[in-house]
Amino acid sequence: MKKLLALVLALTLALSSVVFASAEAEKTSLNVCIASEPDTLDPALNSAVDGATMIVHLFSGLSKWAQDANGALNIVPDLATDLPAAVINDDGTATYTYTLVDGLKWSDGKDLTAKDFEYAWKRAASTALGADYGYMFEVVKGYPDDMAVEATDDKTLVVTLNNDVSYWNELLAFPTFLPVREDVVTNEAWATDPATYVCNGAYTMTAWEHNSVITLTKNPNYFQADSITMDEINFYLSDDANNMLANFRNGDWLMIDDVPTAEIAALQVEYPTEYFVGSQMGTYYVSWNVNAEILPEGCELTGDEAEAARAEIRNAIGLLYDRNYIVTEIGQAGQQPASSFVALGLTDADGIHQFYEVAGPSDEYAGYWNVAEGAYEANWESAMETLKKYYTFDEATGMFTNFPAIEYLYNTNDGHKLIGEYLQSVLAGVGITMNLTNQEWNTFLNTRKNGDYTVARNGWLADYNDPISFLDMWVSGSGNNDSQFGKGAHADAKIYSIDLTPFGVDLKVENGTWAETYDAAIAAVKACTDKDARYGMMHAAEDLLMSTGAITPLYYYTDIYMIDDAVQGFFANPLGYKYFMYTTVAK
Amino acid sequence: MSSKMLFYIVKRILLAILTIWIVITVTFFVMHAVPGGPFMSEKAISKEAQAALEAKYGLDKPLMEQYVTYLRDIVTKFDFGPSLKQRGRMVIDIIMDGMKTSAKLGVIAACSAAVLGIVLGAVAAIRRNTVLDKTIMVITTAFVSMPSFIMGSFLLIIFSVRLGWVPANGASQGGLILPVITLALYPMSYITRLTRSSMLDVLGQDYIRTARAKGVSYWRIIFGHALKNSLIPVITYFGPMLAFIVTGSMVVEQIFAVPGIGRQFVSSITNRDYTMIMGTTIFLASLIVIMNLVSDLLYKVVDPRIEFD
Repeated sequence: MKKLLALVLALTLALSSVVFASAEAEKTSLNVCIASEPDTLDPALNSAVDGATMIVHLFSGLSKWAQDANGALNIVPDLATDLPAAVINDDGTATYTYTLVDGLKWSDGKDLTAKDFEYAWKRAASTALGADYGYMFEVVKGYPDDMAVEATDDKTLVVTLNNDVSYWNELLAFPTFLPVREDVVTNEAWATDPATYVCNGAYTMTAWEHNSVITLTKNPNYFQADSITMDEINFYLSDDANNMLANFRNGDWLMIDDVPTAEIAALQVEYPTEYFVGSQMGTYYVSWNVNAEILPEGCELTGDEAEAARAEIRNAIGLLYDRNYIVTEIGQAGQQPASSFVALGLTDADGIHQFYEVAGPSDEYAGYWNVAEGAYEANWESAMETLKKYYTFDEATGMFTNFPAIEYLYNTNDGHKLIGEYLQSVLAGVGITMNLTNQEWNTFLNTRKNGDYTVARNGWLADYNDPISFLDMWVSGSGNNDSQFGKGAHADAKIYSIDLTPFGVDLKVENGTWAETYDAAIAAVKACTDKDARYGMMHAAEDLLMSTGAITPLYYYTDIYMIDDAVQGFFANPLGYKYFMYTTVAK
Repeated sequence: MSSKMLFYIVKRILLAILTIWIVITVTFFVMHAVPGGPFMSEKAISKEAQAALEAKYGLDKPLMEQYVTYLRDIVTKFDFGPSLKQRGRMVIDIIMDGMKTSAKLGVIAACSAAVLGIVLGAVAAIRRNTVLDKTIMVITTAFVSMPSFIMGSFLLIIFSVRLGWVPANGASQGGLILPVITLALYPMSYITRLTRSSMLDVLGQDYIRTARAKGVSYWRIIFGHALKNSLIPVITYFGPMLAFIVTGSMVVEQIFAVPGIGRQFVSSITNRDYTMIMGTTIFLASLIVIMNLVSDLLYKVVDPRIEFD
């Protein structure tokens, strides 16, 4: 009886809301779902792509991503009148001076000044805030707690970097660099309640029903309010791909940012014009702990020779995997087989070629090995030849007999498990036992970070289009150095060589440690201002990284989403942020 | 109320407090013993920033001190602290937010389950071994054995995607209809079976035969004597069931995107959001303890012969 009553009540409510909605003036509205409840919508604290999507609708920075008439994406000035080149100082530091456009206001009507930028940047970088993305400011002189950022007057912001950085304009569009106002954010709960959420972008937050829906409404105080075509956006909050799809199918939500993996093949056929595979600058890979022993028992190699042998073995094992099989049979989401660590989507010095296309030892293929379908057998043969040098091979069975059993660690997830099982089956085919162990996410991160593993599933997404975002994580002291380069016994291994003299840098080391070679090369890249030399050195660093075999890239990530044909003017940037402000919905 | 009953209630409340204290203590220390932490993420923050955050939330103090502070804040100020992951939000607010939806959903589901279950169970018992009885039993057996994620997905596809009658997300108008049905089907079926067997048992008792022999009307026997006495097992089941349904069903919330407390509970553990884990655990434990107490007291109402000791 109560169910019936509930049904009748709900239907009455639904009907009345329909009647009221149609009686209102022509206000455009769009329902979308990109993810579940964001941890935070504070631009400095956010570290998630879905949070960033909402934040770029709510805030405006010095620069932004924009789509030109041809559909190409570019970084263009936003609140800054233009994006000037840096003035290089005598000490090599680079100073940028920005002028804000006139008449900028916060959503509550107060004036927005350069002081707000200075405050916001210093806050975001500060140790005390502990933001995940605070390190994005590490290029700024005085990072983290004494940064050279100054508002010289209400409209001028001056910032000095340690050296000129080619991706600086792109950083300015990153959420961490968006302005916030001091009197607003001193209330720690400011970003959780529409009443206290003061922003400066195309929209204001008018409702946040936690875990349910966030409503953004066009901000009349936005300096380019006329260009915003969508009046209201409802971000529904769900992380269940099946539920998202159900809402997309029945027409309630016009854009969803995830679909069930099992449905991908069917959706491509069913919705050929509404199913999209977007790019994402990320690599799915397997990381080895360089300090884990993989040589056979009784092996006579010791010290540096042993370490060099391990590198050769790890590289060989990486060649046993068929990456085309992984992306077509397991991933099934349009992923690209990977042949380098720096992902697809990051461009080379010329801004046109992909970084990975130019990487690697051969002109015949892109990257460090050939991922063409026909090349797999040759890769496999050469890998087997290498492994036979170190392990006993039984010709009769086609198996290695003395490869020590290893353990593959992954975080509990069906997709990761399937890939783990594939890798396991490949190795089992040649007599190598790899046991699978899964751990819950947080435990897994802890184990991997501490290096308590032999082989682990891993993945990395870049935050800006510069290969350094993939390379500086492997320096000895990095918190993301899961492979433990330059740590433990590996710190003493003197087997690495690097020569940066062709790039005008006085660094040439033969048989040095990781710190003497890789760490030094990354430091040189960060200090370099010549674009070509800088990219050349990053290629040299990646060469060194890949020679260790400790990083085994499997594929480059993609971003799958569905958007209704009726929606026009939508675009997504290379980081996966979705832009709805310029959309219209055809009736 | 007799002094005996008062004494019983006081004893039960003290026991409840002891139970909750044990739950708090065990959860607190087990939670901290599990590897990982609230500030762990794929992209590592600097050691200094990590230390600053730990100091901010008092996580740098010795564990025993944290435990004592936590207990003191709860007892003296009813303060469950801020969430470590959803920065800027208080644990109590997050729980209350989720409870608004979960309670509405749970109470509607539990009540409809109880009413329908008792009616169907009684009907089945009265019409024992007829086609009606067998039909009810077959259907309820099916519902009892069908996991809620299958039932939920099934309802979602039929009524939301194919027919388009109701929305597929719990946030929309009418979005709670399918979750209520999904949640109610299992307890409804269980109560039906419970009522049926207990009613059959009662109907076979001597005092029913006596009543019949005396010439008491059929319906008076059913409603006045049999049904009331056959509800004891249902009441035993109802209390904890209500607690479980109200505190949120992770699966149903997931399928229908319902903003309830169940998802919070699970994600707080994955996130190592220590204060949220404690808050939701204490909340859940208290609710179950209270519901058990209430259902025990209800026995007395149904059957005055029951004595407490």
